[in-house]
Amino acid sequence: MNREKTWKQFLETDENGKPVGISRPINGFSRRSFLAALGYTAAGAALMSCRVPEQAVVPYLKKPAEVTPGMANWYASTCGGCNAGCGTLMKVRDGRPIKLEGNPDHPVSKGGLCSVAHSLVFGLFDPERLKGPTLDAKDTDWAAIDKEVIAKLADSKSAGKKVRVLTPRITSPTSRAVLRRFIGSYEDAKLVEYEPFGPAAIVHAHGISHSNKSLPTYDIEKAHIVVGFEADFLGTWISPVAFTKAYSSARELKNGSKEMLKHIQFESRISVTGANADYRHTASPKEQRLCLNYLLGKVSADHVADSLTIPEGLKKAVDEAAAELSKNKGSSLVVCGSGNPDVQLLVNAINNALENYGTTVVIPAASEEAEEALSFDDLVSEAESGDVGALFMVDVNPLYEAPDAARFNEAIKKIPLTVSMTSTGNETSAACKVVCAIPHHLESWDDSNVRTGVFSISQPAISPLYKTRHYQESFMRWMGEETEFYRELQRNWKETLFTKQDKFSDFNDFWDKSLHDGVFEESQSPATPASYSSDGLDNAVQKTVDTSKEGYSLVLYQKPGILDGRFANSPWLQELPDPISKVTWDNYALVSDETASALGVVEGDPIKITKGENSIEIPVLIQPGQANDCLSVAIGYGRTKAGNAGNDVGVNAAIFAEYGNGLRSFEIDGITVAKSTAAATQFAKMQIEPSAHERPLIKEYSLAAYKDGKVDIEETEFEKLFSEHEYPEHKWGMAVDLSACTGCNACVLSCQAENNIPVVGKDEVGLQRDMHWLRIDRYFDESADEPTTRFQPLPCMHCENASCEMVCPVLATVHSTEGLNMQVYNRCVGTRYCANNCAYKVRRFNWFEYPHDDPTANLALNPDVTVRSRGVMEKCTMCVQRIEEKKIVARNENREIKDGEIQTACQQSCPANAIEFGDTKNLKSRVVALKKSGRNYVLLEDLNTKPAVSYLAKITNSEDHGEEH
Amino acid sequence: MSLRTLKIISILITVIGAAVIWSNGTFRQYGDQSGYQPLQPINFSHKVHAGDNSINCTYCHTSADTSRVAGIPTAENCMACHDQVKPDSPEIQKISMALKRNEPIRWVKVNDLPDHAIFNHSRHVNAGVNCNTCHGPVETMERISQESTFSMGSCVNCHRTHKDAVLDQDGNPIKILDSNKKTLKTSTDCAVCHH
Repeated sequence: MNREKTWKQFLETDENGKPVGISRPINGFSRRSFLAALGYTAAGAALMSCRVPEQAVVPYLKKPAEVTPGMANWYASTCGGCNAGCGTLMKVRDGRPIKLEGNPDHPVSKGGLCSVAHSLVFGLFDPERLKGPTLDAKDTDWAAIDKEVIAKLADSKSAGKKVRVLTPRITSPTSRAVLRRFIGSYEDAKLVEYEPFGPAAIVHAHGISHSNKSLPTYDIEKAHIVVGFEADFLGTWISPVAFTKAYSSARELKNGSKEMLKHIQFESRISVTGANADYRHTASPKEQRLCLNYLLGKVSADHVADSLTIPEGLKKAVDEAAAELSKNKGSSLVVCGSGNPDVQLLVNAINNALENYGTTVVIPAASEEAEEALSFDDLVSEAESGDVGALFMVDVNPLYEAPDAARFNEAIKKIPLTVSMTSTGNETSAACKVVCAIPHHLESWDDSNVRTGVFSISQPAISPLYKTRHYQESFMRWMGEETEFYRELQRNWKETLFTKQDKFSDFNDFWDKSLHDGVFEESQSPATPASYSSDGLDNAVQKTVDTSKEGYSLVLYQKPGILDGRFANSPWLQELPDPISKVTWDNYALVSDETASALGVVEGDPIKITKGENSIEIPVLIQPGQANDCLSVAIGYGRTKAGNAGNDVGVNAAIFAEYGNGLRSFEIDGITVAKSTAAATQFAKMQIEPSAHERPLIKEYSLAAYKDGKVDIEETEFEKLFSEHEYPEHKWGMAVDLSACTGCNACVLSCQAENNIPVVGKDEVGLQRDMHWLRIDRYFDESADEPTTRFQPLPCMHCENASCEMVCPVLATVHSTEGLNMQVYNRCVGTRYCANNCAYKVRRFNWFEYPHDDPTANLALNPDVTVRSRGVMEKCTMCVQRIEEKKIVARNENREIKDGEIQTACQQSCPANAIEFGDTKNLKSRVVALKKSGRNYVLLEDLNTKPAVSYLAKITNSEDHGEEH
Repeated sequence: MSLRTLKIISILITVIGAAVIWSNGTFRQYGDQSGYQPLQPINFSHKVHAGDNSINCTYCHTSADTSRVAGIPTAENCMACHDQVKPDSPEIQKISMALKRNEPIRWVKVNDLPDHAIFNHSRHVNAGVNCNTCHGPVETMERISQESTFSMGSCVNCHRTHKDAVLDQDGNPIKILDSNKKTLKTSTDCAVCHH
């Protein structure tokens, strides 16, 4: 065939049969010849410009003394994710914070950190943060804001109207002092503490039983038995990191210890805490209240509660718990997560009868809330009557979560001055006249009275990126004070804390030391236990034994990570799977199998939950271990003005939280539930299989078997099919203690922050294309009456006989001389053979070019780790960047690497100390000691992959788990 | 302009471009930038400083032995000497003005590695590698240029041959035959540079 003809026949021809374009020159140029000329020029230009674009290097004019370019500095601070006040170390490199880690010297968190803390870095560089103050939704400067606020405050004063400041529970003594001064300068000004899902009920109950309205410190480490009622103390309750540290330490079997804390949990849904309990009992909130009454009768002679109608199984469980508790008077602990102060009064009575006050439950000497308390509902009615002249809302979002948000929205329209102080725009700030952008926590100064005698400092890791101002500083300006909040902090510390120590005679030395450590601990004699009074107990008993309520009950809970929704705009947290359900990017109504069949719904079907005027439509998720006729819904979802990532994810269930005694209750009785006609939802789950199908993935023994020395898992010897690798210097290895791991997910986010792991979104997670290098597998065993839940963190196993290495056609995954299975991104062509051949399914493929085009958001990337592009396989590297960094430090100092010097990201901030990493060629290393223990086993041993990561079998403090399963 | 002239111009550009790029006679590897010698905002001469006046490299590149990057000297560092030495020179004036205006100097980066290759200066300097080994005869350069190709081959070559060696004072390798003695242990594991 004529070649010319072949291609010409595709061209358009004119009436003479000539191809169009060639025969029609314009200005002596045809289209084709122009393109040809352009092609030559472009080719020439392309050849000429084979150079990388010019890059600038910009050194400091004057370098701060502590900065070395390319080297990270670590600054101690306090996490601002919640009120727990965990100590952090902020890694700041070349002026920008890139990672948060736990501060091992902090007396509360002891080096642990939760998933929320890890996500703070992402929040700092969130391009959607507020960039400056606004007045009537228009950008303005601080001078205009100050003028407006001062004028309106003067108006309010002359009109005799009230000034109200709505804040969350403030743990910062300096901020509290500033707010007190501000309030003191007005005749009728009050602070309204508003933390709807905080431990307000516990504080309230202690106000009644101990005349001390404060939150006690719970010392799990001193206890021999903990009985929990709905309190998710390893997940979200009060100070989960501190509790996890204490819990794992009290259950540790590492140094040949043979005793461990016993844990019994009563709860309506499986929480992280319940999943770790030795005995877990499913009980609806109603049943829990009865159980608490029954327990009170068992442990206290003053109460008789035998007449209660409790299901037989639960009664037996409470009997057993009561026997254990009574055996350990003074070293036991009962905790309860209820938002009902009457229930908390029962718990106080039980702890008092068990003589736990002063030992495992310590009440601070001074009452936290000296001010006359005003509740949020009082504020709403005040605003409605038009009595409020100015309302300041500090970092709260009532328009999203208040049950009567519409009423509050109408009410605040009557207030001449509404000020929202927040670092991210939210539903409330959108409705306020003045929005004062406050700096992100990593840009702020603050302090926190974490618990009695422990004062923790927050320092900024970076100068404020935008035109923001500390909220405390704003209040000081409006009082006519011109000092910076930093000076105020110092002044307050000088006046209040400097005098409480005698180590330093100069305040600057004291300040420098406290700032360096991130914390100041007051040395003081233990407070005398507050006296207990049974006031109100009879009333509480009466109210809580009332079983007449009909219908379904609803329990509102917080997921670790999303919490009450304040970090809803963090895609890291949204994509972090729920530890139990493994669902991402959604909330749902948890129902039991029985309830689901009664309602006629299957997973994903929507139901309509109604209580009074409030109703929501939400899909159901059938969960084992869920109480019958009881629905559990996570709050923190359904945000509408959170930002791109957080908007319209899930449904807002916080509106159901009822008021009572000025407190919000998270357990709501008498709701109606009906099947809805809306379309079913497909959940994006990171794990689809509920159970391990009786494969020995998680080995488990009872404490009795361990004590008898029966736990000695033998290693199987296989025929050597492959030539063995040589490790001349190091061989890195890891041991994961399944007895310690609580499945809290902190390691997953620590890994994500360290290794620049992208977020893929709900649809892609639904297609199992999630990118987490470290995942936590969760297995239910539903064979027993009460299902057990087990967790297993799964990083890359770094096998010696790695199945991935054998199939890669381009040698993109190879074995290193230090026992690591390396993934070489620039060699990888994306065949995905390796992922298909991996027995542990830990390899992740970049299906798309995940966007890294926002210059601000990119600042959160770790510069030591390559950002992968589309079509490339990736997986856990065992933090090889950290290994190389420490190897270089050791070699520069001409010494060997010390054991424990290298910590992987997952290991560093594990609140349970479940992960140990080290050189297995160093026979004195801790990881070798663990690997030699009888509990050590490797996953899927029969495949002879010889993983470098091994597990330590779980030990439960119960009698009925004698066999491995 | 006719098509013919345009064609000729395009071809000329191509030929000249190719001639410039292949000027050292070999076909270059993709990404090879050796010989790159951009204009800098300040007419700084390494010859005067490192050559004629024999100032040690680490006097200005202060973090070469402690950090991953060698560090570009701060304006303050320059003025430590130039407060006294030639303060009136127009080039020095640029530095003092930068300090006065609080505007950092934007130097043009010459030696650059791809982002997926991570190099640590401190390890190499402390092992005794001479700066010239990679950066060429800097003390003779009026304007700095890139001397090595900085290709993976040039890195790996050294790492292969120096495994059982130490470096003498001039940076020359000495083979160590005694297996008990410490050597450089230069690794060729991918993950040493790529992570």
